[in-house]
Amino acid sequence: MSTAAPQKIVVVGSGMAAVRLVEGLVARGVTSGITVLGEEPHAPYNRILLSAVLEGTHRADAITLRSPQWYADNGVELRLGTRVADIDRVEQQVVLAGAERVAYDHLVLATGAIPSLPPIRGLIGPDGMLHERVHAFRSLEDCTRLLELLATGRVRRAVVVGGGLLGLQVARALAIRGVETEIVEGGEHLLRSHVDEQAGRILKRSLTALDTSVYTGARAIKLIDNPADADGEWSVGLKLDNGFTLDTDLVVLTAGGRPSTSVARRAGLAVAQGIVVDNTLTSVFDEHIHAIGDCAEVDGRTSGFVPPAWDQANILAARLTGADTTYDGHKLVARLRATGLEVAVLGDPADTVGATGEVAELDGCEVVQVSNPVNGSLRKLVIRDGVIVAATLIGDLSRIGLITQAFDRGTVLGPQEPGQLLMGVRQAADEGAAQLPDDAEVCACAGVSAGRIRGCSSLADVKERTRATTGCGGCVSAVIALLQGAPAPVRA
Amino acid sequence: MTDSHCPYCSLQCGMALSPSRSGLQIAPRADRNRTSNPRGDDGALCRKGWTAGGLRGSRERLTSPLIRDRATGELRAVDWDEALDVVASRLAALRAEHGPDANAIFGGGGLTNEKSYLLGKLARVALGTSQIDYNGRWCMSSAASAGNQAFGVDRGLPFPLADIEEADVVVLVGSNMAETMPPAARHLDRLRERGGKVVVIDPRVTPTAARADVVLQPVPGSDVALALGLLHLIDAAGAVDETYVRERTTGFEDVRRSVASWWPERVERITGVPSGELREVADLLAGSERVMVLTARGAEQHATGTDTVLAWINIALALGMPGRPGAGYGCLTGQGNGQGGREHGQKADQLPGYRSITDPADRAHVAAVWGVDPATIPGKGRSAYELLQALGTPEGPKSLLVLGSNIVVSAPNATEITARLQSLDLLVVADIVMSETAALADVVLPVTQWAEEGGTMTNLEGRVILRHQAITPPAGVRSDLDLIAGLAERLGAPGVWPTDPETVFEELRAASSGGKADYAGITYDRIRAEDGVFWPCPAPVEGEDHPGTPRLFADAFAHPDGRARALVVDHRGPAEEVSADYPVHLTTGRVLAQYQSGAQTRRIRELPDEGAFVEIHPLLAGRVGARDGEPLLIRTVRGEMKAPARVVDTIRPDTVFVPFHWVGVNKLTNDALDPSSRMPEFKVSACAVSA
Repeated sequence: MSTAAPQKIVVVGSGMAAVRLVEGLVARGVTSGITVLGEEPHAPYNRILLSAVLEGTHRADAITLRSPQWYADNGVELRLGTRVADIDRVEQQVVLAGAERVAYDHLVLATGAIPSLPPIRGLIGPDGMLHERVHAFRSLEDCTRLLELLATGRVRRAVVVGGGLLGLQVARALAIRGVETEIVEGGEHLLRSHVDEQAGRILKRSLTALDTSVYTGARAIKLIDNPADADGEWSVGLKLDNGFTLDTDLVVLTAGGRPSTSVARRAGLAVAQGIVVDNTLTSVFDEHIHAIGDCAEVDGRTSGFVPPAWDQANILAARLTGADTTYDGHKLVARLRATGLEVAVLGDPADTVGATGEVAELDGCEVVQVSNPVNGSLRKLVIRDGVIVAATLIGDLSRIGLITQAFDRGTVLGPQEPGQLLMGVRQAADEGAAQLPDDAEVCACAGVSAGRIRGCSSLADVKERTRATTGCGGCVSAVIALLQGAPAPVRA
Repeated sequence: MTDSHCPYCSLQCGMALSPSRSGLQIAPRADRNRTSNPRGDDGALCRKGWTAGGLRGSRERLTSPLIRDRATGELRAVDWDEALDVVASRLAALRAEHGPDANAIFGGGGLTNEKSYLLGKLARVALGTSQIDYNGRWCMSSAASAGNQAFGVDRGLPFPLADIEEADVVVLVGSNMAETMPPAARHLDRLRERGGKVVVIDPRVTPTAARADVVLQPVPGSDVALALGLLHLIDAAGAVDETYVRERTTGFEDVRRSVASWWPERVERITGVPSGELREVADLLAGSERVMVLTARGAEQHATGTDTVLAWINIALALGMPGRPGAGYGCLTGQGNGQGGREHGQKADQLPGYRSITDPADRAHVAAVWGVDPATIPGKGRSAYELLQALGTPEGPKSLLVLGSNIVVSAPNATEITARLQSLDLLVVADIVMSETAALADVVLPVTQWAEEGGTMTNLEGRVILRHQAITPPAGVRSDLDLIAGLAERLGAPGVWPTDPETVFEELRAASSGGKADYAGITYDRIRAEDGVFWPCPAPVEGEDHPGTPRLFADAFAHPDGRARALVVDHRGPAEEVSADYPVHLTTGRVLAQYQSGAQTRRIRELPDEGAFVEIHPLLAGRVGARDGEPLLIRTVRGEMKAPARVVDTIRPDTVFVPFHWVGVNKLTNDALDPSSRMPEFKVSACAVSA
């Protein structure tokens, strides 16, 4: 297709799916005709690392994905700070906020998600803006503003609304920054869209141990301004539906997001939860319009995760350059990124966890589980026909490198393996060298057995008669132990 | 007593050789062992070195040229003149019929510099063929390619090996030095005595990993992703040496942007390395003043080997290490003369002194030394595996002359390659024993082994060392130099064809003069006096000797602008992914008591030869019903083998390991090639395991 007349490809959005799409197109030889319209003013960045920036493990500069120069070098027109107002499907033009029009042959909507605002009275001021003590956490700008606020030293306490992945990450980040942090989750337990209640309880316990209070089953309903104190500092009160009011200096909203579909809706495209596309990632109403990433709904599902968004971007890049390939779903691994809190959830909870959070023991699923609430660990595998179809790992992720490999590749495990995978890594018994049988090899370099060492009188004698210790030198301590008849020191 | 060095690996431990009633007495020499013992106070050898004299007087030694009788298919003993006459006349006939590229040469990384040099000259001057390459292509070529791209020069280690002891952190990427070059591992112990740390990256907890402070066990084929993830964390932590990357590199900003999408949890999913372990290593690297990254075959023998090395070089550059004392990037070359063997013309694209066969000035320089018209020097030929793949095909060579290589055991997808060898009109193999490849030959030429000849080797540090002849060869055996000269003369080649190593070296000096690997200032006398000389060592200026160059890059890299190139690489994964039918990763490697194809070591009585085995984790063993010591069947799409299981908990449960010293596992390995180095993917393929 790159040899045909250049097509005009317009991408709305400059988030992670959009960057991947453009990278895919460039890699496939598309050198002209691409326009990217990004609403945010920043060069595209890695959104999922924002909580790491907040926590301080990542420099903000390090999350930039592509410089504007890269777009220019590859013939891509990147227009940042540009809002799309409408789509003129008849004329095949995008209408920008300033009424400027941009023509397309193919339009890709990669508009992502927007944070949903929980129904809390007082959240929005009369000016239509968020209350000044309330912050959303979706964009680099949100993150920067929050960091600036923290830098003033005026934030002693914070309440995070929402106990999902993002909420826990933000809560940990604030706590690590020295802010006294509380979490309010309306559902009955933390991470309720990913894990069952038992896992949620363990997480709550772990967070409490990390000095973060957690209120579950409680909805924030009202924000109240408290009077200023003697220093002129004032706080807000967040009133919960269980009667508590949490006094705090800062409220961060992480209560989920929803696909950004307003432009698509206005243009009369099919929109349900997200912009409805088929498995070619093309709008079911308009073959010139596509959607990928958080804003797209394929087969009745939206995702909110990067790997499926990238899969979709790669597939659409291939399709737009002539390949015939389709998007057939993905395997999800949700991973919490926060210091001191280890969580991995494999598989789509909807497949394996019932509405009550209990695993549906249907279709021959078996559940293998090991938990230890005292040390905050829970490991659970859901197995169907020997294959790991879902897993929850909390607190102890030592085997995650094996479990995700088996999950992603659909490895058929033996009957004992799921149990063995969940057992702690067994340390080989470190026998003292002095107990080695005579025929055990002590020095591999020279091929010398324990018996021959025992027949020597000193290290010099060992070197002279057996050549042990004269190669890599790794057996010196064992040889000395054998000579002394004492247990060898255990190697650190 | 005669000064020499070990015949095996690139460490080239110093040895004193003396004739004895049993054949040959060997003792380590402390003063010829500075590579593994910088203080010169202690000699060291592994059991391969100690027993290297075991082929002296062995019944396995070939002592007469053999020619296959066309009627009976049997090999019959002939004298050298008859053998060389037959070979030369058939080479000439094939050239007359099919053109010069009908004849091909396959060399080895164990050949001395003099042999490598003269073999390249034989190809270009006597045969006029472009078809020459060597088994070093399967050794460190990915590191060579990456080094040339990033630094503008490829010298395995740009510093003496003993600099390991000065580092704060040494990262061994796919190196099992405690087994493959045991005396080198002493440096790790000294480093740790000083408080330094060792990081080992290997799918197996090898004896080297057992000495490490941190071990990462990635899934085979995921090394690029691992390195990208580490650089991501280093940049995220603000640990990039900004002054260094600004002043000494180009391209770093693009690299920095490219790793922004390699966050730890993504890397964890691809590599199977928990993100916490990745962070631990990144913190260690970010917080250390002197970091040394050393790659070896585990990282390099992949279809993505060059990218893996480049990704690690990027880490070293980001931290500002290359050129800093006790720090930087290096490759642990494998074969005895893996370094020198790649510098003097037995590579398809190179002329002596690391000159390019496509550069007119380089061609003119070498042509003048050879006394030929530059236009008569052929162009670039096929790389090793592609050369072998083409053998006996309509467009490919009809004959192959093999020196210092046992292709049947060491080539990937070996069944296919063996068939290619069998389809040749003429296969000539020079060896000391009847290797599996020699056994297929039409003509077998018995040659001297190391103690029976002299010559220089360039060890893994770029140090040129000298082996002296210690004993008289058995009757009926000639040196490779004799063989080459004998053929050149019979083919009516122009120029001189000396057979004395030092005379050949004098010509090599002239041919390399002014090249990247400049040996012009190195003489046998200087090597003797200085315990080796590091290249580049240009010719004396106004009577003043160049001291040689133990450490490169202190002030500048070898690109014209003096800067290193940071190059963007991306993770592609293995050429062959595991699947429902082939669900397990297969990787290969070496054991301590054997060397390469085992042609020598398997014939030495004192070295245990227990045959191949399959390392398998108890989890996988339980799944397939494997029991320790009982046979396992391993299959890939290319072939199958049986070997006893060794159930160990030191390997990843999704991976099995088989050593490659025996005919077997290379029938299974993947022949996908690295696009830049043409390295085959020895280190990962998808297999099925059954009891």
